Amino acid sequence: MRNIFLIIAVMAGLIYAQDKPGESRFLLRGYAHSGLEMREDASTFVGGSFNPIFLWRQSQKLLFEAELEIEVEGGETNIGLEYANMAYILHSYAILRLGKFLLPFGAFAEKLHPAWINRMPTKPLGFGHDGVGPARGLGVELRGGIPVGVAKMSYSVYVINGPVLNDGSDPTLEPEEAGKVNYEPTGELESENKAIGGRVSLLPFSNSSMEIGLSGFYSNVGQKGTEYEDVTLFAYALDFSFVKKVSFLSGVIDIKAQYNAENVSDAYYTNYEDSSRYTFKNNSSSYYGQLSYRPVNLGSDFFNSLEIVGRYSALSFPKGALWEADQTQVAVGINYWIDWRNVIKLTYQVTDAGAHGEESGEGQESRDAVFIHWAFGF
Amino acid sequence: MKKYKFKIIAGIFLLMTVALFIASCAASKPIADKPGALLWGENCVRCHNAPSPSAFSDTQWEAIGKHMRVRANLTEDEVNKIVEFLSMANQ
Ligand code: HEC
Repeated sequence: MRNIFLIIAVMAGLIYAQDKPGESRFLLRGYAHSGLEMREDASTFVGGSFNPIFLWRQSQKLLFEAELEIEVEGGETNIGLEYANMAYILHSYAILRLGKFLLPFGAFAEKLHPAWINRMPTKPLGFGHDGVGPARGLGVELRGGIPVGVAKMSYSVYVINGPVLNDGSDPTLEPEEAGKVNYEPTGELESENKAIGGRVSLLPFSNSSMEIGLSGFYSNVGQKGTEYEDVTLFAYALDFSFVKKVSFLSGVIDIKAQYNAENVSDAYYTNYEDSSRYTFKNNSSSYYGQLSYRPVNLGSDFFNSLEIVGRYSALSFPKGALWEADQTQVAVGINYWIDWRNVIKLTYQVTDAGAHGEESGEGQESRDAVFIHWAFGF
Repeated sequence: MKKYKFKIIAGIFLLMTVALFIASCAASKPIADKPGALLWGENCVRCHNAPSPSAFSDTQWEAIGKHMRVRANLTEDEVNKIVEFLSMANQ
């Protein structure tokens, strides 16, 4: 509760600062979204969240950005810090960032997940919480964009507090998920390791329409002094983006795709139910491909505000793990853009949770769902 | 079955990429020679719809320009030209 008062006080101050005449450099922005999910047997309100963002341009070279996420989940209000960092421009091609930031591991987590940017009301399988690969971290990063010939490239490298392996040894910390990597360890699972990672991307055309990115991430994940201390994680991602006005289609074509993979080195875990020892090849992956089309020259404002979108995504957790899973999902939808970042999404989504979905209690996900979702930025 | 599906999808993407690659090869200027308005139209639509110049004031565009330079790894030259264009066109 104290948190909420604090947030309201800070935001009131910011709005005041923003409204002051003259050259105020505070900017309070953010987004919110909410929706209705309809399944065969029930309808529920989902995904209600409010994300205030504030930007402060301290000087020509220094920018501060922070985002809070206030989410309503199962009747409870959760407040989380999405990011809070300082970016300092070192020179034309290098920016130093310090703090908690969204990680350039692929493109989705850093650039495409906000509800008013994501063309779908849901995230692709394996790209949300408990997904494959990291999404944010606390540390230091160097990044930038560099002209190359007629076109350009971008890079980033970072060192952050590392993730922690759930080795199944603590019965209070979901021992059935032994072998899973926890990217945002809190409390008891304090991270002792540092992770390093980075991404390079190439925009081969001078019109910047296409970007191909390659990301890597490496860390020790086992707790020191345990039999798991040498267990390592290597994750990588490949992302693709193509956005271009195509005149013979009278509209804009937008293609996004990403493949994430996670490889954890071999280890033996103890089954929490019968104390037997077991091991498995600890490789996970997820990927999605999305295609959307939005007309621009159809002569009618109504049609020009529509967008059609389709997405396929798949997730695979290791065979032999107690959290084994193999899922696929298809989603198709039609969006109506009220303005550049105010959208109503109507989506039909079919998830096949696979044979293991039932056991892990996620069986209900193998049903169809229709979403009506509203997202806007302010 | 999984592997099979993945191949199909990978194949479709490959085909599209090739087709679009050819489509995009049509003559275009080097980035360094482009005016701010063009850079705005080409870059600010890649992740989200491009905001119109009138959406924000000059000081706001300054901060947003920095924010997008960091987030999108745009080059310094691109951002400077785009912000200049936006603050001229928002009157
Ligand atoms: C690589 C992807 C990407 C590109 C390219 C991009 N943006 Fe953004 N933009 C984002 C993301 C992601 C956010 C949301 C930031 C957040 O919520 O953390 C955003 C937010 C914004 C906002 C809301 C205010 C803010 O700063 O958060 C504005 C305005 C904006 N972008 C303008 C632009 C303009 C102008 C350009 C062209 C110079 C541009 N964007 C290019 C990804 C991009």
